[in-house]
Amino acid sequence: MEIFRIENLSFSYPASQNKSLDNVSLKINRGEYTVLCGKSGSGKTTLLRHLKTVLTPHGKRTGEIYFSGTALKDADSRNQSSKIGFVMQNPDDQIVTDKVWHELAFGLESLGCDRKTMRSRVAEMACYFGIQDWFHKDVALLSGGQKQLLNLASIMAMQPEILILDEPTSQLDPIAASDFLNTVRKINTELGTTVIITEHRLEDIFPYADRAIVMDSGRIIADGAPRSIGKFLFEQNNPMFTAMPAPVRVFYNANGNGDCPLTVREGRAWLSKEFEAEPDIKEIPCENIDEYIESPALSLKELWFRYEKDSPDILRGVSLEVPSGSISAIVGGNGAGKSTMLKAICGICRPYRGKIKVFGKPVGKFRSGELFRNCISMLPQDPKSLFVKNKVFDELAEMTKDKNRINEIAEICHITDLMNNHPYDLSGGEQQRVALAKVLLTEPKILLLDEPTKGMDSFFKETFAEILNELKSQGIAILAVSHDVEFCAKYADRVSMFFDGQVLTTDSPRKFFGSNSFYTTAANRMSRHVFTNAVTAENVVELYCKNKGGAQ
Amino acid sequence: MKQDAFSKLHPAVNLLFFIGAIAFGVLLQHPVYLLAGIFASGAYYLFLNGRKGLKNILLMIPLFIFVTLFNPIVNTRGVTVLFSYLDRPYTLEALIYGVAVAATFVLMLLWFGCCGRVLTGDKFTCLFGNLAPSLSLLLVMVFRMIPNLLQKAKQIIGVRSSIGKGTAEKSSLKDKLNSGMTVMGILTSWALEGSITTSDSMRSRGYGTAKRTSFMIYRMTATDWILSAVMLVLISVVIFFAASGSMNVQFLPERDITPIKGFNAIGFIAYFGYLLIPTILNIREVIQWKFSESKI
Repeated sequence: MEIFRIENLSFSYPASQNKSLDNVSLKINRGEYTVLCGKSGSGKTTLLRHLKTVLTPHGKRTGEIYFSGTALKDADSRNQSSKIGFVMQNPDDQIVTDKVWHELAFGLESLGCDRKTMRSRVAEMACYFGIQDWFHKDVALLSGGQKQLLNLASIMAMQPEILILDEPTSQLDPIAASDFLNTVRKINTELGTTVIITEHRLEDIFPYADRAIVMDSGRIIADGAPRSIGKFLFEQNNPMFTAMPAPVRVFYNANGNGDCPLTVREGRAWLSKEFEAEPDIKEIPCENIDEYIESPALSLKELWFRYEKDSPDILRGVSLEVPSGSISAIVGGNGAGKSTMLKAICGICRPYRGKIKVFGKPVGKFRSGELFRNCISMLPQDPKSLFVKNKVFDELAEMTKDKNRINEIAEICHITDLMNNHPYDLSGGEQQRVALAKVLLTEPKILLLDEPTKGMDSFFKETFAEILNELKSQGIAILAVSHDVEFCAKYADRVSMFFDGQVLTTDSPRKFFGSNSFYTTAANRMSRHVFTNAVTAENVVELYCKNKGGAQ
Repeated sequence: MKQDAFSKLHPAVNLLFFIGAIAFGVLLQHPVYLLAGIFASGAYYLFLNGRKGLKNILLMIPLFIFVTLFNPIVNTRGVTVLFSYLDRPYTLEALIYGVAVAATFVLMLLWFGCCGRVLTGDKFTCLFGNLAPSLSLLLVMVFRMIPNLLQKAKQIIGVRSSIGKGTAEKSSLKDKLNSGMTVMGILTSWALEGSITTSDSMRSRGYGTAKRTSFMIYRMTATDWILSAVMLVLISVVIFFAASGSMNVQFLPERDITPIKGFNAIGFIAYFGYLLIPTILNIREVIQWKFSESKI
């Protein structure tokens, strides 16, 4: 039984010549778990928004959408509100009220439910989602993951038949994200609610989805079981292939035989079968990093910091040295104090003990403003907090009057085409690059990045990494704190672990992730029983081919 | 957040109490009643705020003295002249009246302080949710927006200072104003952007499709009913005695304060008892805990 049927839907935004949706026809069956993937700007969000009348964008439209057999535009809005649940990207802005319990009841209040029904539904949802402990809390005190879970719960309280999720985890850290996605999967399997989801983080969804749909420039280019989609994208040499889970990428790039593995477990089984005898070459030669850094760009010694007199210490003796001309990454759990460390370097918060030296000179000795001119600069987690003007060009012009320099930097950051746009109209990845350009115009020698890959899709990540490499070759010291293990493994020169308010170990990514067994990349988890230090999909493919003597 | 025994009651009971306490506090100018009021409100204020509360109460003393001494300067009525200055008399009656005004002032500060702690935003909207659903929702959204904006402002200031666009201590007033305006500008566009999502989220959850009802997590329990009844009885008693003139006072031009004795004392006891309800509930809870603890 189908719940949605879309027939020849085309759509274009008022000011645009291009079709955002181009002749899309689709059937969604009841109880299905469908993942919709595609690059940013491929029309995923536009398509999803068409599935609920109140959210449908204005513009020119042809084609028809049917919900449970009747045309969607004829379905009354009350019915649509309760039966079609929609979760959006930003966890914060979706929340309407100030208390958790009130938010849970918001939809039911709008539908005019009586108190008795509300009481039992709210109680039921709070239990199912494990919200009891923070039921009475202020919304402002919740973490991002909790907020998004609350958004989901408050929609589930209306007992929808279908749940539509538009990049729900792009603002969350990986642990909160996989918690959230597990909950969505639980809803699908336990309650039979139909799910349509768009996501960057395919590793957590792909293996469990019933169906994957790939979109490109407003059209559906592939539609089928996840396993067949991987094959299709590889054969088409489609750039979307880079977003596939690591086992899929390894399998096809290594020309593997048999069924394609989707999960780490399947990947391990496949490698075990391929290498029943121990492989001859087990590791990729790698250089040790220098323990001793001659004249580090930035050095922290024994930093201690806490926010209030009575609160616990966030930084508990942080010591770190960052060399010029390299990318140093710091990974670690949520709320461990990584961002606080960056704030301490920028002087936003002042450690009560310890020394920060920039090019050998204590930060206290810098005259006001001098530290941020031609020296240190930080790219914040939320690029929007940097934007003050109506045009990208004005945004950059705020930093310097030198037009040539602006153009140069715009070139480096690939934003030359965006100069006349409003910063808020750009996609997340584009905003990130504009913000980077703005930061770079302070001509920093040390660049600090706070969660730079948050909300970026896999293509933008590659472009972004290219930019960073370019900067690195100019001798800039780059220090990134990130949750994104895969990104750090692939592009960083040095990786450190942040735990318990300290920087613990520093090593080259291959050594660092090679010796971890939990806190490591999917490629490493899948191959660690066969190869010793393969940390990216490329590493695994390389070793596989070397051993098999295959052509690569 | 831990709640005290009185806050745990139904919001309607809380509201009833504060309406009574504040109305009587304004209307009854009798010194003994004022003293009782300050004692009861002070005790409850301390209970709610702990050590910080004590500091706030101590800060009220200079305020009290100032209002007291200031009153005779603007008000020259009264028969007993203490001294004259610039041909204006400074009278004893006006001074005493000043004490009463100052006491009322402090009393209001204390009651409103307690009220703010007990009747939080959600309780308030809960109470009026059914009368004016849209208005109460608006209030709730404002409650949420204010801390949100403050937090974002802090974030923006931090971010701007880390690209060298912050304000150092030495910078001129003009620079500071400029930078403040910039931050305000970002905040506004950020808030507008967010409000689009919020309104989508509201409409997507059926806002405006039916007559709104409002959800209450509070229920009237037996204790709530009993306490309301007790409060209503005490309020009636106080009103009865007030109407019969046993609480009349006159400060100007001549002092005339009705003494509290005999039959009149019942009115006072009712008033004092009423004001002590929150404190008594809290003390009872503490004792009950100690008692059950000692059993373990």
